[in-house]
Amino acid sequence: MNKREKTFFSALLMFVGIFGVTATANAMHIMEGYLPPAYCAVWGVICLPFLFLGFRNLNRQVKESRKSMTMIAMAGAFIFVISSLKIPSVTGSCSHMTGTGLGAMLFGPAAVSVLGIIVLLFQALLLAHGGLSSLGANCFSMAIAGPIVSFLIYKGLKKANVNKKVTVFLAAAIGDLFTYCVTSVQLAMAYPSPDGGFMASLVKFLGIFAATQVPLAIIEGILTVIVVMALESFAQRELKAIHFN
Amino acid sequence: MIFRGRHHAHTHTQDHHGHSHSHRHRFGHSHDTGGFSIDYYAVNSGIRHWDPRFKAAFSMLLLLCCLLGNHPLISLISVVTAAVITVGMGRLAVDRYISVLTIPLAFIIMGSLAVGINFSRQPLGDWNLFLHWGYMYVTRESLMEMLFLMLKVLGAVSAMFIMTLSTPSFELFSVLKKMHCPTLLVELMHMIYRFIFILTEVQRNMRVAAESRLGFCDFRTSCYSFGQIASNLFVVSLRKANAFYDAMEARCYEGEFVFLEEDSVVPAKMILTAAVYFAALFLLWWFLR
Repeated sequence: MNKREKTFFSALLMFVGIFGVTATANAMHIMEGYLPPAYCAVWGVICLPFLFLGFRNLNRQVKESRKSMTMIAMAGAFIFVISSLKIPSVTGSCSHMTGTGLGAMLFGPAAVSVLGIIVLLFQALLLAHGGLSSLGANCFSMAIAGPIVSFLIYKGLKKANVNKKVTVFLAAAIGDLFTYCVTSVQLAMAYPSPDGGFMASLVKFLGIFAATQVPLAIIEGILTVIVVMALESFAQRELKAIHFN
Repeated sequence: MIFRGRHHAHTHTQDHHGHSHSHRHRFGHSHDTGGFSIDYYAVNSGIRHWDPRFKAAFSMLLLLCCLLGNHPLISLISVVTAAVITVGMGRLAVDRYISVLTIPLAFIIMGSLAVGINFSRQPLGDWNLFLHWGYMYVTRESLMEMLFLMLKVLGAVSAMFIMTLSTPSFELFSVLKKMHCPTLLVELMHMIYRFIFILTEVQRNMRVAAESRLGFCDFRTSCYSFGQIASNLFVVSLRKANAFYDAMEARCYEGEFVFLEEDSVVPAKMILTAAVYFAALFLLWWFLR
């Protein structure tokens, strides 16, 4: 590597570093127009059965008592606001929680799938995070895959009598990491690399987003633990109202 | 005395709000202005009175053309069309439009870099760079693919902005309702849309309260304050949900919001213009193929 190449390379690394650290705000939402149409359609279709189940679940709750309608809507707004909050970070960058783990633990994965797609729609419309054509793909990674993993880990570790803080931390952090892996898989499938195919491309996408997403997942886990602990100490009545245990 | 003090506080908050909407954004979007600038621009758009169905259909068709056409020229046309409609007809200030367009920039750059740059064990491509364990290389084709992809994303995003920067969300819900989207979903959207603004306001107040008490002075305290705010927000939101239900019940809510809507008819001239535009776009695509 000669001197010019070295300068070029370090400039490139710095460029990636700056963007990676300062602009992680919405890095995991696949943008409008990024996925080819066939992939948009396929991910949308994959979401449908989950959305149908979630919709049926919500419909039943509302039929039982209409009062749960405002409750469900508030849960949706809560997830939206939580996911748009700037989280504290060491570097002074500006990033957001995904809120999927917390949502899944509080409201269950079925409700979160429907609320999630509405929240994603609002994020596309109000904040320009994500897009309408990539709604299906984003919905699958953030409103279905991530929450289900979080929920399963939470239930599983609770049954195994693991310490509650550890349980909540692992559920939120691994759910977050899983979301990021699913997004990378989605991107790699759409853009396989010319001489290594899908796997090489997957490694590339995982690597590029890892710098930002791994610390974020850990912070998200810690914050979720703090939130759940605070809720348990002074919101017992409210938690009972949404059947959280 | 008390009255004067309150009066002062009141004008101060007004100043603050006026400031947050009227100050000029530098490039790059700010997260501290309440965050919903897109909705604000939509309500104040110069083409707000156009039929929402027309705007939604036009925007979605252009987005579809951008995706299916998959050609840099079509993406470029989409970018220009969107700019002309949003800035020219919608009278949105250019610097604001650009600052909205830069929101997806981080993703565009990171996502495109991953497409443009490849790794290999052998020295390949038009330019390559030896790293300790292999080569990072770029070919002319992959660079072009990367640039076209950036342009396509920009075209698609600006096509969507035709709709979102001119049509407030609640008008889009009525379009969804006319398309026979399930009532439960449309109702949820209406409610969530309203609740988002309420909760954001509550959250902002809590944050200001915490900040004025040094709640965000270092990383550790920030995490603690963040957790306290989030859990408090949860409690407040559930209490508010009950209060809202009672208020809605008192106003005869029976599972469906009914809004007064203006019956607008899309002028034939507009439909014709749009039809000609898309026909031209299709012909262009036919020739480029």
